[in-house]
Amino acid sequence: MKIAFSYPPIINSDGQKAMVSQNRNVQFFMKPTYLLPIIQGQAATWLRDMGYNVFWDDGNSQLKTFDCWYLDLIEASPDVIIFESTTPVMKFYWNIVNKIKSDLPHCTVIMTGYHSMRKPQETLRRSYADVVLRSNHIDFVLQKLIPYIDENSQWRENCPIEGLVIRIDENNFHDTGNFKQIETLDLSPDVDRDLVQWKNYAYENGNFLQTPGTYATSVVRDCMFGKCSFCRYNGPDLTFSMRSVQKSLDEYQKLIEDYGAREIFDDSGVWYRGAEAREFAQGIIDRGLNKKDCYFGFNTRFGYLEEDTIALLAKANFRFVLVGLEAADEETLNRLNKGYGPKDSEQNLKLYTKYGLFPHLTIMVGYFWQTREQLNTTIDTVKRFMFEGLARTLQVTICTPIDFTPYHQECIDQKMLLTNDYDDFDMSKLIVKTPIPHNDYYDAIRNIYGIAFHPKFIFKQIQFLFKFKKRDWQFLFTYGIRAIRRVRQHIFNLTKQQKNKVIK
Amino acid sequence: MLHKVLEIRNLTATAYVLRIERKKVSFKAGQCFNLGLKNSGVNREYSIYSGENDSCLEFLVKEIKEGIVSPSLRQVTLGEEINLHGPYGSFVIDPIKIKQVKFYFICTGTGIAPFHSFIRSHPNLDYQIINGIRSLNERYDYDEYHPLKITTCISREKWAGFHGRLTAYLPEIPIDTKSIFYICGNQKMIQEAYVILRKKKVSGNHIFTEAFF
Ligand SMILES: Cc1cc2nc3c(=O)[nH]c(=O)nc-3n(C[C@H](O)[C@H](O)[C@H](O)COP(=O)(O)OP(=O)(O)OC[C@H]3O[C@@H](n4cnc5c(N)ncnc54)[C@H](O)[C@@H]3O)c2cc1C
Ligand code: SF4
Repeated sequence: MKIAFSYPPIINSDGQKAMVSQNRNVQFFMKPTYLLPIIQGQAATWLRDMGYNVFWDDGNSQLKTFDCWYLDLIEASPDVIIFESTTPVMKFYWNIVNKIKSDLPHCTVIMTGYHSMRKPQETLRRSYADVVLRSNHIDFVLQKLIPYIDENSQWRENCPIEGLVIRIDENNFHDTGNFKQIETLDLSPDVDRDLVQWKNYAYENGNFLQTPGTYATSVVRDCMFGKCSFCRYNGPDLTFSMRSVQKSLDEYQKLIEDYGAREIFDDSGVWYRGAEAREFAQGIIDRGLNKKDCYFGFNTRFGYLEEDTIALLAKANFRFVLVGLEAADEETLNRLNKGYGPKDSEQNLKLYTKYGLFPHLTIMVGYFWQTREQLNTTIDTVKRFMFEGLARTLQVTICTPIDFTPYHQECIDQKMLLTNDYDDFDMSKLIVKTPIPHNDYYDAIRNIYGIAFHPKFIFKQIQFLFKFKKRDWQFLFTYGIRAIRRVRQHIFNLTKQQKNKVIK
Repeated sequence: MLHKVLEIRNLTATAYVLRIERKKVSFKAGQCFNLGLKNSGVNREYSIYSGENDSCLEFLVKEIKEGIVSPSLRQVTLGEEINLHGPYGSFVIDPIKIKQVKFYFICTGTGIAPFHSFIRSHPNLDYQIINGIRSLNERYDYDEYHPLKITTCISREKWAGFHGRLTAYLPEIPIDTKSIFYICGNQKMIQEAYVILRKKKVSGNHIFTEAFF
């Protein structure tokens, strides 16, 4: 049985490519970051280990045009294709599934991703997809489903595996129930780096301070906190699960020693905290991996890491810490269920930078309740943090309700959504009613990105470089160029948006 | 939000109940809050232990010796304020189901906390707790449960009742598959209990889980 894990290049009318993988909010960029989809990678590895003929078909990272990707796929003629999609590209996916089903009628198309997971029937009605997965545990479900399909001709009617909605015919679907099982993550294999052609993802990634970089097999599936209202990792059917520290350490060692990785980033919603974080950092030190010129990074939330843990992480060569600063006012933090207060962020950032970690802030604007005062609080706080050297880099996005998260549902219930067209959910514009004009939020984003070019900030960066253990000017230059390119791409999208298509 | 600590009730050498002022906080039984020392910038999740109508908020905490937040909360002096955020989460009971079905609450250690909250909030609940602990002294506030509605599995101490892990007891008992099952505690237990229930033909739609660690 031949199985394709496919990511089609999705290119908009401005020639920008969509970044889809790794459960990210889709954004279109001229020079996108290629993110290695970890769970898909684990699923592919697992099925390959079970003897299936798996091929990794990421048209984006393989730099294919859409036509070239499509022709190659049809020529390969897989028995099963697995796609990952999310709200803003659902319509694209429904069309592509139908096209594939007409060219390869015997191919089974399996849809994964948080949008179809929340609305499986919709995808089965709007396209000829055969199966929709109702869980993010793609690896665990597929390693049961694929052999079942392989061995049972009546699989559509009889499949007992949970977490699926299966097409029986045009109008009838077999729902096998919610997938709620917490899996022992250690059972799922490490991503086979050769199978996914890891080097295709090793350079163009803003999260890498040095290259080649790679994403580790995530240590936490879903999120231990899992309560933030705008986030996909929030739902009654989701409970986090965690990998063992020693298994992850083994993978890091292999990535450094066998593959020459110089940066390893873990893209779990939130990485280990407390005892596990300390055990991991200590493990890196004990194995001497902190002396191999490789940096480590992860996502965290304010409130999870305290001083001793941060100090140990820094000693172990951790650098890049990506942390959400979704707002700086109490009301918004509470409404978003962030679980911390405005003061906590500053306190945490002071500790991160005290020990030489590089905090990267992910900021959002444009909540349907966000007043001018709240918006200004965010801008002022971010500026202060950047000028005081409490954070090194940042990214600002428009909060876009997607994938039926609680925030999305709240927008629907309170009639705040300005559009039902999924194409509009691509984060390029505000799609909710707001108390102040949309342009004010766009100006805020521009204003925040403008910090990168402010003399005070540039001075702080140079000052920091002299304190930085590794005085590698070339590194800062390359990283700086990449950061500036990212800023320009975001600003291009905003300008385009302000000129073209403001939704009223 | 800052809340004054009213009482720290020590249950064992490693477990305590933290009682804080309620102020105007409303929550659903089974939800959790984030707690941390004032100005520490660090917090952790704790399931609510008290009932929806109780005058104070209570949390059942296991002190992890090498931990950060759980030992520090125990050191707080009475009257001192701690930080609280929440409530959060959807590990709650559907009120419509209360009169219709039986509930099984499966838990290890402090995983009993949200069930204590369920029982205090919904006095008419038809429930059965299956509680896995290591020693007899971990039967926290045992008197508050109807003696016939709580089964204790003790793994590291011989006693008159079931000696062994909860996951050894669960396969042995008859289970009404129409019941609703809530499982709370460590991931390994949850995973094993889930598999046992599925083998007993309980639908995945009838199982709800909350992992602490
Ligand atoms: C949704 C949710 C609800 C929770 N509710 C409760 C609760 O009601 N009562 C409670 O005591 N804890 C609860 N926890 C666990 C709690 O959040 C902390 O993880 C725990 O108090 C340890 O924090 P720490 O800072 O002291 O130690 P850390 O340094 O963060 O970690 C210490 C170690 O203890 C382990 N650990 C965490 N919790 C427990 C536990 N209960 N028993 C044994 N080992 C543990 C961790 O895996 C870690 O290895 C809950 C966790 C979650 C995610
Ligand atoms: S902490 Fe981060 S990953 Fe977790 S629920 Fe919140 S936003 Fe999502």
